[in-house]
Amino acid sequence: MTWVVWRQHRGQLFTGTAILAVFAVLILITGLQMASQYHSMMASCTASHDCDDFNFTLGNPVMTELVTLTTGVPAIMGLFWGAPLVARELETGTSQFMWMQSVTRRRWLTVKLAWILAATAAWGGAIGGLVTWWAGPINALNNGRFIRGQFDVQGIVPIGYALFAVALGIAAGILLRRTLPALAATLAVFAAVRLGIANFVRAHYLPAVTTIYSYTGRGFTPAGSAWIFANGTVGPNGVMYTPNSPGQLGQLEINGMGLNGLPASCNSLASGAHPNFGRVLACAASHGYRGFFTYQPASRFWAFQGIETGIFVLLGAAVLRIAAFALLRRDA
Amino acid sequence: MSAVVKTRGLSKQYRAVAALRDCTITVPVGRISALIGPNGAGKTSLLRLLAGLALPTAGDVSVLGTAPRQDPAFLADIGFLAQEIPLYRRMSAADHILMGAHLNPRWDAASVRQRLDGLKIPLRQPTGTLSGGQRAQVALALTLAKRPRLLLLDEPVAALDPLARRNFLATMADAVAAGGLTVMLSSHLVADIERVCDHLIQLSASRVQLCGDIDELLASHKVLVGPRKDTGPIERAHSVVQVTRTPRQTTLLIRQGGPVIDPAFEASDVSLEELVLGYMSKDGTGDSARPFPEWLTAVGGDQ
Repeated sequence: MTWVVWRQHRGQLFTGTAILAVFAVLILITGLQMASQYHSMMASCTASHDCDDFNFTLGNPVMTELVTLTTGVPAIMGLFWGAPLVARELETGTSQFMWMQSVTRRRWLTVKLAWILAATAAWGGAIGGLVTWWAGPINALNNGRFIRGQFDVQGIVPIGYALFAVALGIAAGILLRRTLPALAATLAVFAAVRLGIANFVRAHYLPAVTTIYSYTGRGFTPAGSAWIFANGTVGPNGVMYTPNSPGQLGQLEINGMGLNGLPASCNSLASGAHPNFGRVLACAASHGYRGFFTYQPASRFWAFQGIETGIFVLLGAAVLRIAAFALLRRDA
Repeated sequence: MSAVVKTRGLSKQYRAVAALRDCTITVPVGRISALIGPNGAGKTSLLRLLAGLALPTAGDVSVLGTAPRQDPAFLADIGFLAQEIPLYRRMSAADHILMGAHLNPRWDAASVRQRLDGLKIPLRQPTGTLSGGQRAQVALALTLAKRPRLLLLDEPVAALDPLARRNFLATMADAVAAGGLTVMLSSHLVADIERVCDHLIQLSASRVQLCGDIDELLASHKVLVGPRKDTGPIERAHSVVQVTRTPRQTTLLIRQGGPVIDPAFEASDVSLEELVLGYMSKDGTGDSARPFPEWLTAVGGDQ
């Protein structure tokens, strides 16, 4: 059966390998360039002691765009590897040839799924790994690998997305029995689930951390590539002001605190031709105002990667289970 | 005990449509059984139930002593060739032979090559580029290479020209002659059935009308031709399959319940075609004088 899977899908394997190889070469070349650029910039700014203010721009924009586009790779795998896997056999009737050989439908499906999903995990892992390596210098500058867009193409989540997309494609093909509708269903459901989870679920994997800090000290910024949800000011009454708190948007904002929220004596320091933010903050602090950040710490990056990957792997397993049940139970 | 296929009260329902109703048949070992009936009579459904590709709604089915099931040993014994002649169009016959070798415990690759060479069918060409007849031959050769004990063929010759049809049936008959093989094939074409089959199952409107060895069926039926008169006595003595009345004479197709004693009627042997047509017109309205049904001349497949 393994040989048969190889014989049937070796074309797809060659195409997939070729595309991956081209991508790897591009990533390697630009990644090495970017790394050396990063090292020389770091060396020069360390020499002049201005790394904190240094304005880094790394890599070239075309490559950055290409890397962003790898968000779509799992969907493409779902469409090209997943959806036709069973649907095309049902559509062209070749399932009737296959299912009358001395191999049970269960075994046929199991072996096919095992190899396709293994290849999917390998490809998803390879692309995720290459991008993660490539983005190393960018990550080192704390340019936010936790934020949406970068989180989605790095680490291990591409494996989870790819497995889910391919599983979804296979399941849609089994349930709809035709390739084209299966393609459409795969794309629609995958996009909906991906966007839904990224926008509405991911932020809640672990309860966010809120750090309140004093304006009189050295201030506070979450370390590393934290995922910052909100930052602003906590009033003496415990009310949290953020730049979007209604009624708090003055012409000038300090840490999200609208000046309207401040006592008049502090506010007067902010008006005039030369407002002095340091004095405004000190005044606010003396009235009991403090700053706050609500965020997911950078240290949770891998926990979030693991949770998100787990969710997609489980979703993929669930749709495959339903589809396999349908395929093995109903008439062939 | 020598029955390869035995069903009792077998029924298959697809939502509101009954594809097969109360089907009770027996096919002894070594027969080439013709499954005949108009389009939609349930031939494909019966073959798929026997192959285990469909599950019965009711009734019992036993194939080679067991219920059809998803089991490598059972599957190895069954050769099923669907009407669509399913082959991977981009793969060659040689590719299919290699696949079969990986998928079956018994696999006679040499026999496929030999058959296809004999028919001058290219082994290395994608099957999608072969003619319909060549594809059917490739599919049959592959099905036979499994060395099945029961071969189920769904309208295998429907798409073939007369010469290809003859080759196909000859290939099949050779395989049966080699022994250990029982065949059920559905067909529209009485001439082909007459040439190769020795057993007949007739389906009409999802029901079995006839099942038995062709010789016995022919021997037990007679055509009676006589004057137009009351046929009551005959109907009481025999079972009448079909009555055709013209102003002058009456023609009856009967299944004999004993000797025909009415001297007014002349008894003659029935041909397979008359028999099949008689039973075909038995179903439905009972209007036995209608012309030959269209299906007899139709060559297309069930859709």
